[in-house]
Amino acid sequence: MKKRRFYTLSSVAVVALLLLTACGPTPVPTQPPQPTTAAGPTQPPKPTDTPVPAKPTDTPVPAKPKVATFIWTQEFDTLNPLYTNMWFSTTTFELWQCAAWLFDDKAQPFPSLVTELPSVANGGISADGRVITLKLRDDLVWSDGTPLTSEDFKFTYEMTVNPANAVASTYPMDQLEKVETPDPRTVIMTFKEPFAPWLSMWRGILPAHILRPVFEAEGNLDQADWNKNPTVGCGPYVFKEWESGSFARFVANDNYWLGRPKIDEIFFRFVPDDASQVAALKAGDGDLGTFLAYSDMPALQAVGVEIIPAFSGYNEGIYFGMGEKHHLALKELNVRKAIALAIDRASLCKDLLLGMTAPATTDWDGTIWNDPALQPWPYDPEQAKALLDEAGWKDTNGDGVRDKDGVELVLKYGTTTREIRRDTQAVIQQQLAAVGIKVELLNYEADLFFSGYAEGGPAAKGELDLFEYSTVFNFPDPDSADWLCSEIPSDENPTGTNWQANCDETLDGLFQLQRTQVDPTERQKTFHQITRHIFENVYWLGLWQDPDTWAVGKRLKNVKISGATPFYNIMEWDLVP
Amino acid sequence: MGRYVARRLLQAIPLLFIISVILFVLMQNIGDPLATMGGRRPTRSADRERLKRQLGLDKPVLVQYLYWLIGNDWTRIDMDGDGVAETQGQRKGILRGDFGTSLKKRQSALSLIGERLPNTLLLMGAYELVVLVGALAVGIYSAVRQYSLFDHLVTGLSFILYSMPIFFIGLLSVTIFAVYFKRWGLPYLPPNGVFRAEFGKTTSEVVWHMVLPVMSLSLISLAGYSRFMRSSMLEVLGQDYIRTAKSKGLERRYILLAHALKNASLPIVTIVGLDLPSLLGGALVTERIFGWPGMGRLFFDSVSDADTPVVMAILMIIAVAVILFQILTDITYAWLDPRIRYE
Repeated sequence: MKKRRFYTLSSVAVVALLLLTACGPTPVPTQPPQPTTAAGPTQPPKPTDTPVPAKPTDTPVPAKPKVATFIWTQEFDTLNPLYTNMWFSTTTFELWQCAAWLFDDKAQPFPSLVTELPSVANGGISADGRVITLKLRDDLVWSDGTPLTSEDFKFTYEMTVNPANAVASTYPMDQLEKVETPDPRTVIMTFKEPFAPWLSMWRGILPAHILRPVFEAEGNLDQADWNKNPTVGCGPYVFKEWESGSFARFVANDNYWLGRPKIDEIFFRFVPDDASQVAALKAGDGDLGTFLAYSDMPALQAVGVEIIPAFSGYNEGIYFGMGEKHHLALKELNVRKAIALAIDRASLCKDLLLGMTAPATTDWDGTIWNDPALQPWPYDPEQAKALLDEAGWKDTNGDGVRDKDGVELVLKYGTTTREIRRDTQAVIQQQLAAVGIKVELLNYEADLFFSGYAEGGPAAKGELDLFEYSTVFNFPDPDSADWLCSEIPSDENPTGTNWQANCDETLDGLFQLQRTQVDPTERQKTFHQITRHIFENVYWLGLWQDPDTWAVGKRLKNVKISGATPFYNIMEWDLVP
Repeated sequence: MGRYVARRLLQAIPLLFIISVILFVLMQNIGDPLATMGGRRPTRSADRERLKRQLGLDKPVLVQYLYWLIGNDWTRIDMDGDGVAETQGQRKGILRGDFGTSLKKRQSALSLIGERLPNTLLLMGAYELVVLVGALAVGIYSAVRQYSLFDHLVTGLSFILYSMPIFFIGLLSVTIFAVYFKRWGLPYLPPNGVFRAEFGKTTSEVVWHMVLPVMSLSLISLAGYSRFMRSSMLEVLGQDYIRTAKSKGLERRYILLAHALKNASLPIVTIVGLDLPSLLGGALVTERIFGWPGMGRLFFDSVSDADTPVVMAILMIIAVAVILFQILTDITYAWLDPRIRYE
């Protein structure tokens, strides 16, 4: 009797479970997997003036709205361009905001709000490089129908530099001496000095007619309602709704001057867990995801998800510490060359990164700024040993570690706790040990690792001889302050960013020069010299190119992704059932 | 009883003050809120210095705590860095209901919490209900049918589930019920979020999206609670008064529910009382895996960003909740057991 009751209860439980899973809302039907082609690495772009795209014919509104779901692993902090540098926020700007120019998937700029990119040839840039004039299109309107004019540009500049606003960064607006607007379609920027990185400006314009009254009433824009509810925008989509921690919605802008986009709504779902993001993409619950681990890509591709790498200026590499606190061996070029030759980076890319990327030559690899003649250092441990012998580093005491004048060649190699970096460290430790260099591995949480000198960051404080990470200053602009002699951190200069404490006068001079070269061709030549100098002196050793990886679901079509302005061609995206 | 409650509330005031000081000092060592304000690149040094000044982070810790406690609208601050304090402060301090502004989102900490709290109460309320009802049912049945096949099965399953970490159960359930069920053509559950865009935020969509997170959370706690209930019931069922009730010929169900359950619930009341504040704190791992927009995620994100005002707001609210729920637990104890009286 007891057994019968047990079996009865168990059967009821199983049936109940099946009923529970069967009684949900009707799922959205999905297409069978389609063959995908992996996107090739981006080609180095060339600077050209692209003509303004013609206005396409308006597409009729479909009967059933097309809604694309993007899975975001981090929620926006704010949507006001002045108060955020967060990638997950700024990437939405191509949807609902507007920019003077955008960058395509080759990192090539093309005009958006302006009629043409300013240059010395068309008179948009003055001969001394200090004055840049923008000519705006004559059909620009905000989503509420108000004309978008030069006044909005000037307002954006004024709000950025006003000390009442606790904006995320005043750069590069703080490089301007003044902004003038002689008419509604003309913006004249006068810089304090010739400013080459001007293409990094004007990504995000504030609506003066909405925010000026707020500023005048509150004294600042720090807590303006528009920061979280930017219901007036200037992009192909208009902000609709944002529920904290849950989702955000952007709907098609019927007033957009280039016509209505094909997809009616972009729905962002915030899913912080990487594994959950992958599960959602596999299940077809999301149409787009990003920042995937290389190990997840084959499983996604197997179900028809396309992986698109978008180069955004990041190259993973090792910095060699050359200051007083660093190991004296690293001041010797032969030692640095030996380290470069002793590490098999091609195998690293093949084994740890599943062959989905390639070794980098310099930190500007993948851009027009890198000297195209440079090739990655080959893997040649025998030559590495020879170079070390030549430099006088030999294992005189038979402990397997080279030494010189009583100093052992033991280096401290630090990075963050990311799994791929830990794995890389382990491999490099073995390979360097094979040539007689001992390496101590150290790992830190990201917020500590990237802390500055004053906050006790280990790299900034000179506690690491080799430190590994990838960074970018202002992609697609190549400028960097990290190689200037004036940026070596110290007690007197705790905010310095030249953590490798490398003061090379030649390199410093070249970096100072490129900042003033508004002519892209001249600037490119200077950067070719810079990259060659860094490469030949092995000041930085590239491990792999580190593109952003995007997962695009089967339903999305015509997708191209830019590393600088990712959704630059969102107008052409389409959603098929 | 009234005097007891009043005394406990008064004792809570210095306790909360001490808690706030300890937490505030700890928060100063948890990270640099300015480190990530540069986005994917390190924050510029000029921006760092300016933001430190504008956000009041350049002040000594004690001054920052004072501003957090009583506000700064009674003084002026230097916003433009010229060494002259020209701008009137705008903060009122927590004692006047101003929990501060998020350093990252530039939004009132209280409004951020207000946006997330309903979601947490929904999820955790459903979880607590499932666990209580399930634990009572399973625990009572296991005790009554001690050493039966059902009892052995439940015992074994309890130990297995109790030893499993939540992220394992969560990800496993997503993989099976969301990914594989869909691949096999079976009816499937949604992997994350609160609703699907195509269907809108309807009641059925929200309930449907709650199934997996509530199930993942409940399985572990159910295992633990049911064990408590079982051992508590066994102890009570062995008491003399239960034997007396049986010998009087009372119906078995009446003995169980009217006599045994009330006494056997006392330990459960203690555990539930300790658990109730978690209704406000949320479930961090579960919320991350299932993309549930609750307090747990808000807390984790705020700690990661070293967003002191939000973290302090959440912790102080939870501290108050712990104190209040403990008082509530004591009152419930007195109601369940007439022998307990508070002076």
